Amino acid sequence: MPSIPDKPDEEKKQSPWVQVGRYSQIAFMLPAGTVAGYLLGALLDRWLHASWISIVGLLLGTAGGLIELIRTISRDLK
Amino acid sequence: MPEQLWFTAFLNRLFAAPVTAFLRMLGIHPKYAVAPIPNSFAMELLVFFLLLAIFLLVRSRLSVESPGGLQHSFEGIEGFVLGQSHEIIGHHSEPYTAFFTILFIFILVCNLIGLIPGFESPTAVAHVPLGCAICAFIYYHTQGFKHSGIKYLLHFFGPPMEGMPLWARIPMAALMLPIEIVSHFARLLSLTVRLWANMFAGDLITLVFLSMIPIGIPVLFLGLHILVAVLQAYVFMLLAIIYVSGAVSEEH
Repeated sequence: MPSIPDKPDEEKKQSPWVQVGRYSQIAFMLPAGTVAGYLLGALLDRWLHASWISIVGLLLGTAGGLIELIRTISRDLK
Repeated sequence: MPEQLWFTAFLNRLFAAPVTAFLRMLGIHPKYAVAPIPNSFAMELLVFFLLLAIFLLVRSRLSVESPGGLQHSFEGIEGFVLGQSHEIIGHHSEPYTAFFTILFIFILVCNLIGLIPGFESPTAVAHVPLGCAICAFIYYHTQGFKHSGIKYLLHFFGPPMEGMPLWARIPMAALMLPIEIVSHFARLLSLTVRLWANMFAGDLITLVFLSMIPIGIPVLFLGLHILVAVLQAYVFMLLAIIYVSGAVSEEH
């Protein structure tokens, strides 16, 4: 049976591959947040017969992407 | 008639009528009633049955004293995934390893099957990565609820605001709720687009160079395509681990 690596949990240093995976998502965070926010807003617009929710969704998505970006970077800078 | 791979044509010849009837029952009208199964779904199904057959074979030959090559390979993959999830989630990561392992193997085989002539990568069609991303999305939320119960919903109200007075916490949490919901859907989108775009671009580049210079150069791009296929399967699995780690963390 495969064994669990004996690295202690307290050890914050992560392997380079994990860091590659973690940082590769940074490029996607902001655009994905913006597009997801806009799409959710557009969906709500269609459902509620409104026209402003997609703009709010776009702004919230941008903010969400930015927050996620700052969170990821600040987590690793600690 | 759409262009069909031999396996898709085989499935359509056998199951076109019941699949079309089933889709119509759901209110979906396929463009081609005689070929309702697309190549991507046929390839996905092939990978599923291929993996099922391999797993059954490994299971039937499982041995502690003299493990075979196949058992060694799968134990190696499982050990690798376990190591990664232990590094990110911590010592309580074992229950989640099975999901991460199967996600990794499934995406890897889906990415690589396109290199065999007569087959194509199902992950180069957007709805297959979307399906995998939805699975990961549902899984990490389910694990979050299983781990923290109803308290998991606190994750959607932003990070803990210990030093903040109550009157400021409530509007802050109300503002964070839609932002967090959108962020979770953004994860779904980024998982989908990353895998789909990489596989689609890889296929396209290989095809373009194969049509321009048929000897020598395409081998380099095929090598690059294999590297991208392995890397993307790894990144998808890693991000699923990171999302589960966030869902089962004790931050709130």
